[in-house]
Amino acid sequence: MRYTRSLLLLLVLGALTVMTPLSAQNTTQKPAAPKPSGGGGIPRTADGKPDFSGTYQWPTYLPGAERGRSNATIFDKKNFAPLKPGGEAFFEPRTGDPRHDEPRDFCMPAGFPASVLSGNAMQLFQTKNYLVWVHEFQRNTRIIPLDGRPHRDGLEPMYDGDSVGKWEGDTLVIDTTNFKRWALDDHHYTNGQEFRMHSDALHTIERLRWKSPTAISYTITIDDPKIFTKPWSQEFEVIAKPEWEKDGLFEYVCQENNRCPGGKCGSN
Amino acid sequence: MKRLLLIAVFAGALSGARLLAHHSFAAEFDDKQPIKLTGVLKKVEWTNPHIWYYVEVKNPDGTTTMWALSGGAPGQLMRRGIRKDQLVVGQTINVEGFRARDGSHNGFGRSVTYQDGRNVFTATPQDQQSK
Repeated sequence: MRYTRSLLLLLVLGALTVMTPLSAQNTTQKPAAPKPSGGGGIPRTADGKPDFSGTYQWPTYLPGAERGRSNATIFDKKNFAPLKPGGEAFFEPRTGDPRHDEPRDFCMPAGFPASVLSGNAMQLFQTKNYLVWVHEFQRNTRIIPLDGRPHRDGLEPMYDGDSVGKWEGDTLVIDTTNFKRWALDDHHYTNGQEFRMHSDALHTIERLRWKSPTAISYTITIDDPKIFTKPWSQEFEVIAKPEWEKDGLFEYVCQENNRCPGGKCGSN
Repeated sequence: MKRLLLIAVFAGALSGARLLAHHSFAAEFDDKQPIKLTGVLKKVEWTNPHIWYYVEVKNPDGTTTMWALSGGAPGQLMRRGIRKDQLVVGQTINVEGFRARDGSHNGFGRSVTYQDGRNVFTATPQDQQSK
């Protein structure tokens, strides 16, 4: 009897849990527009967190003013904070040596954030404790802990830095430090005379938030105290591409057939 | 028929694509040295970072020269619906593009067509994506 009563109670509680949001929806007069921060209609994990697992187009910058001739998305200089004295090192002079001017021509990595902004497909895998972000370009993979751990200590600077993630409501915030000095973005493919090198003090903050059931608002904050007087941000849009799921990401092994590194092709 | 239609769609979709200087492209190829070749497709390397295909071109003196030509990354081409089997080994193709900076018989193929005018692909900025 006690067992039957408990079972009944559970059923009623379960029904109430299911019915409450339905009732709330029924009282809505207008069709619900996508809510900027959570609410219905966005993918969620079993524990209620926004779910970013899926296949996506590379981040695009909606104003697109400075995309220019580059295939990859780049940062728009109108978003930059003022340079601080000495920050001119950001614009590194070209030397004519392709190993310096074009390290990717020798299959060196793009490095974050350029790696994520490259014009290729990307796939995200999210679990309770990790976000794994795989970009088709160079098969760049970022493994981002979401379990609240701090940044690792004592590591050598890295091309992609050291990332940790945390939730702020329905926004996933990824904090990255410990960068090697490297190209900030692909601006030099648009203007070969200008190179944007971030410093080894770079600190980035990424914010991912579903802004509709099919599009993520993706903001990158650039905090580089050796270059800029204050942090600055740029918002991108990341469009879900479920139709790309079937093929998935293609392999990208730069070393496989890099025939003309630095413009030296040789004979056939 | 389906394949012809597919090729026609690509040709239409890509015909407006401009060839745009990309630094990685600029490091390897010289846009001031345009090339125009007709020859027999001998080999296709559907590999990263960019595809390469080899075209045997007959010279006026009867000898032949093997040209190696670069295209986009396999993944980028495939996502646009361009597959390796559209480059048929043994067929005669026309290639327009740019020669390698080192003056070797290498180049970047901006557009590839068959003798009957069918388009295989036309380069986009994506195809010159840095490595």
